Amino acid sequence: MGAAAIELTDVRKVYRKNRIEIPVLEGLDLRIESGTFVVLMGPSGSGKSTLLHLIGGLDQPTSGRVRVGDYHLEEMTERELTTWRSRHVGFIFQMYHLVPVLTAAQNVELPLLLFRMSAAERRERVRTALSVVGLEDRMDHRPNQLSGGQEQRVAIARAIVTDPEVILADEPTGDLDAQTSEGILNLLNLLNTDFGKTILMVTHDPKAAAHGQRTLHLDKGVLERDTMHAPRAAAAASVN
Amino acid sequence: MTITYVLMQNLRRNRLRTALTAIAFALPMAVFVSAISFVAMFVRIAQANEKELRLGVHHRTTLTNYLPDGLRRKIEGLDPQRTRLSAVCGMRWFGGRVPETPNALTSLAADADTFPIVYSELDLTPEDTALWQRDKRAAIVGMGPAETYHWKVGQRVVLESTVPPYLSLDFNIIKISDNEMRTNFFYFRRDYLEDSLKEVNADGARCNIFWIKCQSAEAMRSLQEEIDRMTANTPDETKTEDENAFVANFTQALGDIPGLMQVMAAVVVFIIALVAGNTMMMSFRERTRELAVFKAIGFQAPRVFSIIMAESVMLATIGSLLGVVPTATFLLFFPITMFRFGPISRIEVSPLAVVVSLTIALLVGLLAGVWPAYQAMRLRTVDALRRVA
Repeated sequence: MGAAAIELTDVRKVYRKNRIEIPVLEGLDLRIESGTFVVLMGPSGSGKSTLLHLIGGLDQPTSGRVRVGDYHLEEMTERELTTWRSRHVGFIFQMYHLVPVLTAAQNVELPLLLFRMSAAERRERVRTALSVVGLEDRMDHRPNQLSGGQEQRVAIARAIVTDPEVILADEPTGDLDAQTSEGILNLLNLLNTDFGKTILMVTHDPKAAAHGQRTLHLDKGVLERDTMHAPRAAAAASVN
Repeated sequence: MTITYVLMQNLRRNRLRTALTAIAFALPMAVFVSAISFVAMFVRIAQANEKELRLGVHHRTTLTNYLPDGLRRKIEGLDPQRTRLSAVCGMRWFGGRVPETPNALTSLAADADTFPIVYSELDLTPEDTALWQRDKRAAIVGMGPAETYHWKVGQRVVLESTVPPYLSLDFNIIKISDNEMRTNFFYFRRDYLEDSLKEVNADGARCNIFWIKCQSAEAMRSLQEEIDRMTANTPDETKTEDENAFVANFTQALGDIPGLMQVMAAVVVFIIALVAGNTMMMSFRERTRELAVFKAIGFQAPRVFSIIMAESVMLATIGSLLGVVPTATFLLFFPITMFRFGPISRIEVSPLAVVVSLTIALLVGLLAGVWPAYQAMRLRTVDALRRVA
């Protein structure tokens, strides 16, 4: 077993709405090794996204501990978490959320504005990130000039441009057709195998889940099933 | 790429809305800068008046009630040594207009001997004064009517009175004053008017107002009290006031235009604050998810706050510049000289009015942006993203 990149210990998350407590995660224990591609599955409301948000430092557990790398997230302030996210986590969302008035390159460059870095170095990093996702020739295109799959690739480039250890993807293929989804999943496989990124991906799609090495099934806030399987050979496949 | 570039690009997001909002800023700011310039002109005139140390004496009931000609001697008698007052100048309203034109000029008949002393700011040269004393039909006019009617020095002009007995008199223009604080007037000699009135058997030797040139602010205060005490309980009871109070009362008789201008300016500012606030709120709502992503990828809450604030201020500044700069430029090259209101005959946008307008625009921008920016700062990334999912 490799070094644990992510470790959750007895994590509970309860939302309060109109004085009513809604438990979302119930005493979750989880250990994810560095460099694995983990898929989170489960019905709506099972706590998948909440778990992703806790690991991404976007939310705090009601109780329990969340460790990512050397950081105990439950001990960190909002400000510290924000800084931590900018350096250690990359987010990929279902709806891409690119800034429509910026080009692909500028969207990818956005997280780098938070770093002390020369313009030349930023440009180089953006070029590298876009070449990894196969969009080097679309740098100056705006989101409305790109297909859905290309937009998601730009979002992936934005997620990896700061070279984070962990990539969190919330239904990254939920809005794409099967063929384009396959390309995106292959790209995630590539990031996992060739760049050693630890990837957590939420999906409802069993075909997408097959791209991971491990599948966690959540239901009603508890880990119902934890399945290890051989990684797909897709990483070797074309990312285009 | 810089954050400023991102801000500029954000303004291009919905170009029509940005343009409409900018126009919504520009037009009221054009009105605002004009209104402020108008009020500023009043303030400048008031400041100039203060320096002149002049007291105006008129009938307590109303300015249209005449005071006897002899009151001048009584006033002069209060200070025979001339330690407090320099001169007293009686004036009578003529209300003359150029034939075939609708508007009466601020035309006043003034005592020939003391007028150059009491109105020393008109900078009459010894030659001008000599000409004024020598020529009974002499007239001294301000730039306002001179520009409006294209009058020149040496020109012979005719004015028809709009008050009984509706005299028609001809004058020789001996001076066109370039005093910016006193542009809208037409002064001529009172003896010419009185003689002309006698010719038609009308009542003569009366004044609407006596202007007293004082030697100090202290002298003004003491004379003001003494004159009103002297005429108390007589048919010619007076009200003596300094020039600013007189101008203020006079203009307020026509409606408190400067006050209304200030109210209008405040309303304009309030309206554009609402418009800009609404726009910024819409812009924030449309971009809630995007701002959530900004926070997710590491933008701190204060930075998100400052992004929205900067956008709001940028929009306000652009809109205001679009309103203020063309207005100021236009009025610089084409001042409104046909305008007639009290002592003002032209409106020019002062640099101060431009600075005030742009400062207010900046404040409006800050005010409009503060709530959406606060909302953006407080935005919980998880909630905003969940709304999407």
